[in-house]
Amino acid sequence: MKTGFFSSPHVKRLAGCMALAFVLALMIGNQEGSQDDYGLAFRQAIFSPRIILFIAIGLLVFAAMTFWPYITPYLLRPGVRPLAVGGITVLVSQTLLKWSDDGRTGNGKFNSVASKAANTDGLAPMAKLFFSNYLGWILLLVTFGLGAAAILLSLRALAWVAAVLGVVGGIWAYTSQAAVRDFLGTPDHSTGGGVALIGYLTLAAAALATALATGDIADTRAFVNRLLAWRPGMPLVVLGLIVGVIAFVQATWFSPQGSNQTLTDTKNFFQGNGLANLAYQYLAWLGYVLFIATLLTAAAASYLRHKILGWVAAGLGTVALLLSLITMYDMTDLAAAAGVDGATGPWQNLGSGAWMACAAFFVLAGAGLVVATLGGRDEQDESAPAEAPAARSSDTLSRGFSAPGSSKVFLFVILATALFYPPTATGFWQKVLVSEIGIYVLLAIGLNVVVGWAGLLDLGFIAFYAIGSYTTAYLTGALPYKPPSFLHLSPLLAIPFAIAICLLAGVALGAPTLRLRGDYLAIVTLGFGEIIRITANNNPGNITNGPKGAFGIPHPRIELGPIKFVWGQNNLQYWYLLLVLIVIVVLLFRRLEASRLGRAWAAIREDEVAAQATGINTTRVKLLAFAIGASTSGVAGVFFASQIGYINPENFVLNNSILVVAYVVFGGMGSLPGAMAGAAVLTWLPEFLKDQVPAEDRQMWIGAVVLLMMIFRPAGLIPAKRRAAELRGLNRSSSAEVGAVPEGEGMGARA
Amino acid sequence: MSLLEVDGIEVRYGAIKALKGVSFEVNEGEIVALLGANGAGKTTTQKTVSGMLRPSLGEIRYDGKRIDGTPAHELISLGICHVPEGRHVFPRMTVNENLEMGAFRFKRPDDKLQAHVLDLFPRLRERIKQQAGTLSGGEQQMLAIGRALMGKPRLLLLDEPSMGLAPLIVKQIFDIVREINNDGVTVLLVEQNASQALALANRGYVLETGEIVLTGTGRELLADDRVRAAYLGEEIAS
Repeated sequence: MKTGFFSSPHVKRLAGCMALAFVLALMIGNQEGSQDDYGLAFRQAIFSPRIILFIAIGLLVFAAMTFWPYITPYLLRPGVRPLAVGGITVLVSQTLLKWSDDGRTGNGKFNSVASKAANTDGLAPMAKLFFSNYLGWILLLVTFGLGAAAILLSLRALAWVAAVLGVVGGIWAYTSQAAVRDFLGTPDHSTGGGVALIGYLTLAAAALATALATGDIADTRAFVNRLLAWRPGMPLVVLGLIVGVIAFVQATWFSPQGSNQTLTDTKNFFQGNGLANLAYQYLAWLGYVLFIATLLTAAAASYLRHKILGWVAAGLGTVALLLSLITMYDMTDLAAAAGVDGATGPWQNLGSGAWMACAAFFVLAGAGLVVATLGGRDEQDESAPAEAPAARSSDTLSRGFSAPGSSKVFLFVILATALFYPPTATGFWQKVLVSEIGIYVLLAIGLNVVVGWAGLLDLGFIAFYAIGSYTTAYLTGALPYKPPSFLHLSPLLAIPFAIAICLLAGVALGAPTLRLRGDYLAIVTLGFGEIIRITANNNPGNITNGPKGAFGIPHPRIELGPIKFVWGQNNLQYWYLLLVLIVIVVLLFRRLEASRLGRAWAAIREDEVAAQATGINTTRVKLLAFAIGASTSGVAGVFFASQIGYINPENFVLNNSILVVAYVVFGGMGSLPGAMAGAAVLTWLPEFLKDQVPAEDRQMWIGAVVLLMMIFRPAGLIPAKRRAAELRGLNRSSSAEVGAVPEGEGMGARA
Repeated sequence: MSLLEVDGIEVRYGAIKALKGVSFEVNEGEIVALLGANGAGKTTTQKTVSGMLRPSLGEIRYDGKRIDGTPAHELISLGICHVPEGRHVFPRMTVNENLEMGAFRFKRPDDKLQAHVLDLFPRLRERIKQQAGTLSGGEQQMLAIGRALMGKPRLLLLDEPSMGLAPLIVKQIFDIVREINNDGVTVLLVEQNASQALALANRGYVLETGEIVLTGTGRELLADDRVRAAYLGEEIAS
């Protein structure tokens, strides 16, 4: 009887939920203690009301799991997913994100801003209303509740109300934040209002889906596909419309000390100050006209699927983008000459508005291009079975959303973000973007070749990064031994040499280890990484300058006749350089994946014996995987060394190697977009968590995220399709049978 | 002149001598069976021929040229295609992709040949877009053979195609092997299933602990008392 009780699945589930609630309660808050009192954090977690909240969450989860079969019919209804996503997004914006960067608002989060704003006289009344009496929270609850009720009761009228409320709530939240920003008048990079807008609009979309639903069961993917297929490029037009309207009507274009000037303010600011005529006209009227013209052309092209109009829209968008950039240059150059707010050169004191306008033009031009190239050669390549499908592409975007042009839509959105978001970010995030996110994305792309495509576990990958960095240091003359002076190279010219050295190093590591598989290979590569680091540290023959490392590595510069470009301290400049490098590498590697070599990698990863039997030179192919994977870390090494200016062996510790492997696995082994996304997310997360949890807790939270990911989505963020299949249980373990190792390659005696 | 001549090869796994001077020959257009118990050295012999192993002594001549020690991927371009033991398909590639991998040595797969292979194995045509890992054992064996055929073999090495398959499937596969042979492909077959293999083969060799102990035409071997006792499990009145 008793054993029966404890082995009942309900009891086990309840115990599990309670245990998880308890662990979560312990994880929140400071993990502090003192010399006399080790258990402070523990008691805080247990005895304060916090534990009750978490036990309530645990009970909720338990109830949800137990009554799952009764819940699922509702969960499958249209609108549930966007409702959940939108609700969570708004929740995140109001709990985790900052609503103001100004020190006068406390920590800048929603609650602290709201409590200050509610008691501030002179703030725009609508904004004041939004922040007072918990109205922000009530609005979220009501909108979400109405949406949920509409789904539950299948009431279309209610859904329409929720949709309207969602749109109103989003705009209200966004404008309220803007009002606070205008009131405080300090430069502001906080994202709370913007994210809340996105969340509310998602809620509105959910309600709309409920209102317009025809069936009882939602098929989100089919719906999104239909949406994308309806008018190719239309999503980009809509995005361009939203971003552009915000840019031209409301956002800050120019922010000299203590003032956030919108476009009209900026025009007035520069009026009669000798601004170049074109730029002035742009500020006065040309900008609006260009925006409307481009928007209408793009919309018409997309709606009519008119190719020529598409080209016109693309051209207009490009011209408008260039004009925007010229205007931004002119006005900031003038402001710098006049010494406005201590500006020392062009491109300073710009607000987000100008960059958002650029993004809008870019996206609209993209929409035009999507329409213009529709049904062209590329599209046919995507839809028709290609000639070498064995490892065609791991591009899950185009697989999941198969509507024509949809992969381009995603591409343009990502590119627009990568090009025009960074200038509006804070200096801190620009630094993170360059020295963490960008570099590790490059490294992850390289390791993905070795681990993801060829299936060889490499735990010493950072060694190639070190080799690339030290090669740069040598070639630029920053090490004790210098090359002859006529050979001193600018860092960018060092890239091919660093790649060559890394290719050689890849072969040098690969050749002796090829006969090893799996765990054995991992251990040897781990040793290789340590050898490189310790050699650099021990400084044999005074080559590497020991623990002091190399310093005074020059920054990159390009001087080609009249074109002169010198990189300095500004992280933004390095970001664009890095972006160019990443784009080149990605383009090359995409081709590689679909090539004969890519197919050969796929084959040896699948089954080495069979690969050999089909005539693949496994030795050569594996060596190439090591070498080509290493080459991107050579590029990353050059970039790192010349950006930071000094390197030492401490930059290349084992921990970094393991992190890169984790990024690739997290993102989706064998998938190029996955590896990049994995690296980006996992390098962004610790910096984001800085504002959310105590510093010493960050690793714990990252660990929790990785753990959850591996439980619920083991194939990674953007899985390669083959990898996903493997985890679904097709992995009939033929590789367990180690089988025929050629004697020439075998480890000698084989029992 | 015979297509394949194996002349006194010895193969070692470290200290263990797996083959102790094996000699045999395969003539163009023949089906030759290598028989033997587990551990007799059949698979080792075949891997040595296909270039996956290197003999420490002896010579292998193919079409009059020495090929011992030549790596497997070069032998394939000479037309020696190997279907390794235990099927070894690429489980997460589709049937179609598997077949295309078989034609890896060519710039692009031969569509006519692929159609012919699919005619030989109609089951594969039905499952052309299915992932190979989801196929049954017999279908996987068919796929492995079909994939080898995509490499346009002159000499096809088949290692235990009947392993772990139901008798009906085995019969189908052996029928197909005969058809392949009728197309002009020479076949070297390693089998434990002596009765079926010998019924199919023109000639056979019996291996025991790394040596050839018996040779003859398929019919002679089937009639041989020792073969009957050892491989067909028949009681022989002494």
